[in-house]
Amino acid sequence: MFPQLRSLWKALWNRSQIESELDAEMRFHVESRAQDLLRSGLSREDAHRRARIEFGSIGSYQEKVRETRRVTWLEDFAQDLRYGWRVLRKNPGFVVVAVLTLALGIGANTAIFSVVYAVLLKPLPYAKSDELFNVFEAQPQEGITGTGWSFMNFAELREQSHVFSEMAGVQKHQLTLTGQGAPAVVNTSVVTPELFSLFGEKPLAGRVFFSEDGKPGALPVVIVSENLWRGTFGADPKIIGSSISLDKRSFSVIGIMPAAFRFPFLTKSEQLWIPPVQDPLFGSWMNRRGGHWLQVTGRLKPGVSLTQAQAELDALSARFAKEFPAENGGWTIRMVPLQQMIVGNAKPPLLVLLGAVGLVLLIACANIANLLLTRATSRAREIAVRTTLGAGRARIVRQLLSETAVLGLLGGATGIALAYWGVQGLSALLPESLPRVNAIRVDNVVLGFALLLSAIASCAFGLAPALFAANSNLQTSLREGGGRSGESRNRRRARSFLAAGEIALAMVLLVAAGLLLRSFANLTSVSPGFDVQRVMKADISLPQFQYSKPQQWTAFSDELLARIQVQPGLQESAVAVPRPIVDGVINLAFDIVGSPAASASASRTANYVSVSPEYFRVMGIPLLSGRLFNRRDVMPSQHITVVSKAMARLYFPNQDPLGKQLTVAFPFDNGAPREIVGIVDDVRDVALGQDPGPMMYVPFAQAPFWGANVIVKSTLSTSSAAATIRQQVRKIDKDLPVTDVAMMPEIIQASVAQPRFRTFLLGLFAAMALVLAATGIFGVISYSVSQRTREIGIRMALGAQSENVLMQVLKEGARLAAIGLALGLAGSLAAMRLIATLLFRVKPADPLTFVVVAVILAGVTLAASYIPARRATRVDPMVALRYE
Amino acid sequence: MPEQAQLLPGTLDLLILKAVSLGPLHGYGVLLRIEQITRGALLAEQGALYPALSRLEHQGLLASEWGTSDNNRRAKFYRLTTSGRRRLREETQSWNRLATAIGAALGAKPQEG
Repeated sequence: MFPQLRSLWKALWNRSQIESELDAEMRFHVESRAQDLLRSGLSREDAHRRARIEFGSIGSYQEKVRETRRVTWLEDFAQDLRYGWRVLRKNPGFVVVAVLTLALGIGANTAIFSVVYAVLLKPLPYAKSDELFNVFEAQPQEGITGTGWSFMNFAELREQSHVFSEMAGVQKHQLTLTGQGAPAVVNTSVVTPELFSLFGEKPLAGRVFFSEDGKPGALPVVIVSENLWRGTFGADPKIIGSSISLDKRSFSVIGIMPAAFRFPFLTKSEQLWIPPVQDPLFGSWMNRRGGHWLQVTGRLKPGVSLTQAQAELDALSARFAKEFPAENGGWTIRMVPLQQMIVGNAKPPLLVLLGAVGLVLLIACANIANLLLTRATSRAREIAVRTTLGAGRARIVRQLLSETAVLGLLGGATGIALAYWGVQGLSALLPESLPRVNAIRVDNVVLGFALLLSAIASCAFGLAPALFAANSNLQTSLREGGGRSGESRNRRRARSFLAAGEIALAMVLLVAAGLLLRSFANLTSVSPGFDVQRVMKADISLPQFQYSKPQQWTAFSDELLARIQVQPGLQESAVAVPRPIVDGVINLAFDIVGSPAASASASRTANYVSVSPEYFRVMGIPLLSGRLFNRRDVMPSQHITVVSKAMARLYFPNQDPLGKQLTVAFPFDNGAPREIVGIVDDVRDVALGQDPGPMMYVPFAQAPFWGANVIVKSTLSTSSAAATIRQQVRKIDKDLPVTDVAMMPEIIQASVAQPRFRTFLLGLFAAMALVLAATGIFGVISYSVSQRTREIGIRMALGAQSENVLMQVLKEGARLAAIGLALGLAGSLAAMRLIATLLFRVKPADPLTFVVVAVILAGVTLAASYIPARRATRVDPMVALRYE
Repeated sequence: MPEQAQLLPGTLDLLILKAVSLGPLHGYGVLLRIEQITRGALLAEQGALYPALSRLEHQGLLASEWGTSDNNRRAKFYRLTTSGRRRLREETQSWNRLATAIGAALGAKPQEG
């Protein structure tokens, strides 16, 4: 190839020189010839004429010379492709099977890769996003692996850091926007003013925050997102400088950010940004050293290593711990790439899916390789003739590979079409909780991956058959009439190996699917400890500037519950903050009055829930001993709590917790002790897959929140119940929005969307693997039967019974199954350790799953061998003996 | 002069490689050398030599450079490259195989029976 490139280069760059050289060369020839002819006695004139005639047309030969300079290897390749296409066209059945098999593999891989690429690999949509890091605080002794910052710690970090060029802190919040039609809850990002310069983002209109906007006493300002401006504000051209009302407080709009900029809400396009000092909740936290609420992102200076950065953070955390031991003792500062932080725990399941779909492609390739091996055997003679006529081994391999390249191209193209379709299907299936789902599409990178995969796959299934074919013995191939019985032992072995390998790979996938399926069944059948059939939830958040006193919060929830109670179709209702699985948890430290205070390394914590008295009845949580809350448990009376069974067992072993008193680190408690008056059964409050931990319940009236997270038992449809609730809320305060009305069972279903998604996909891949492996085995056995038609005929002529023949063929299938299952068992045991973290209440080496999978595979293998075996028994000895 | 035969199609490349393998030659020299080693087999037109030379050079089997001919004129000289030498060896073997096979086929006598 190299000399050709060189002469191509010469041809391109020295065109005129080449032309004149060509002319000179031919002229030299003709003149030399004329000289010789002259010497042999011709006249000068005759000699020149004769020489020119003997040479022929100089012009046309120059043209022919030019033709030879074109890039012939490309033309060879094109010719091979054309030839490959012609050969393949004669075998449409083979082509359809091979192309579809490959397309299935490529399509599935491309679709999954598009998800993996968008979620895990694609750079974040920010300038130089690899410089961005999430900087967080952690308290290893208490098992706090990562949390936010207090504003005061963050401010010092930002001022004193030498390794970060810019840092900003954010927190998400929801505020109520009024005055623009119906009151609405908007996604509010509480951000320090540096956020926009950190990301290097310019506003669409107006300005971003100045550092003065973040100082105490500054006027309330807000930046809105482009989509919020276009939607809620109807693209009002005069919005900059106008006032909007958030939580009933007036904010002046100073800028619009383009729709492409999304942070810290990554998937929601409608949001707004305010400085922390203006936030009704976080604003009051700014001058506290304790508290961990600000999520900090920093841009590392170019050339600063991670070690340097971490060293600076370590020095800072040591100083914090020394200067403010109460708030910072035991805390460390860590950093991870922002991308990694956003991806979170989505990575392992996606990699498992990618691995699984890769195995499917491998099985598909093995199938096609088997088909090609079969074809190569019957084409041995054609290849032998080519070799005799002078085709080199490399040339033969190249030609056969070109055929597989045609297959690969067709398969790849079909696969890409399948992938487009698959990505659409996937998008509908994808759990909403998966980060960056909106970035999933078949883009150039994904297309490149598909093409690369097709090329690699073509080589994978094409190379072995091509090498086998090129190695075949000329003498034998030519002598044997049709090449029918001319199959070498090696090739037969290769085919059996491929088929057994397919069974093994299919087993790995089936076991994985089986384990995930069992684990998902366990997950959905686990009892959460509460019963929420016909229970729905609704959120009402109270504007904190209007509803600033805890008494107002209690009064609002009391009135709302009383109103809901009397509506037809709505039954009992309750408020609870937070509700299990729906809302996340509040984990608080507490001390037991009369017991020694817990050390920092073994502090007592429990999940804390503030509920109205009806809560336990609505949720169906049984009381085990003592009493529940009632309407008389209000702020002035004795502070009480009800604890869960797990809490009683963990913190009061061998004691009766009733009557014991706790002091809870909740701001409004102000250290007042709470008496334990009852014990209730455990509930899974974090997630269905997480065992219940210690929990304490307190009366809402004694620990109110500035919102009403309502649960309502109802016999109405979701929408009519929502309408009724909205109507009642409006009667109390017309500016309060009611959001997120939904049936609890649906939310709990949605909470297992990720396991459901991966279980479904892995099940799909396992099914594909099973079908592919079955067709692979069917192909191998069928071919082996057709190869031995003559032998079978002879045996039957000599008196063999059809049962004997049947058994003989089935035995061959059984042998394949045995080898495949043995390999698959070893492979599965090794591979299942990789998915151990995805399993719930089932061991990676679950015997039941392994046995069931082995039985299924053995059954499928035998069934796939049975069809050709039946055919073998119907062989007519007379026909078979003539069969060649 | 011995009886003149046309060159078999497809053999020109092989003959050029053979001719050049004995030492560097310019185009006209290649022609003379082929006439010599084939004892006078002829090209239909001498110009046909040049596309063949160009193709072989393009495939990296020949290399060329400009030099001075016997009669002191500038001429383009061709010599065999390493891969050209290898190709010549392979083509010779392949040719011999085919020639033997065809020779045997043509020389076969009908079997008695």
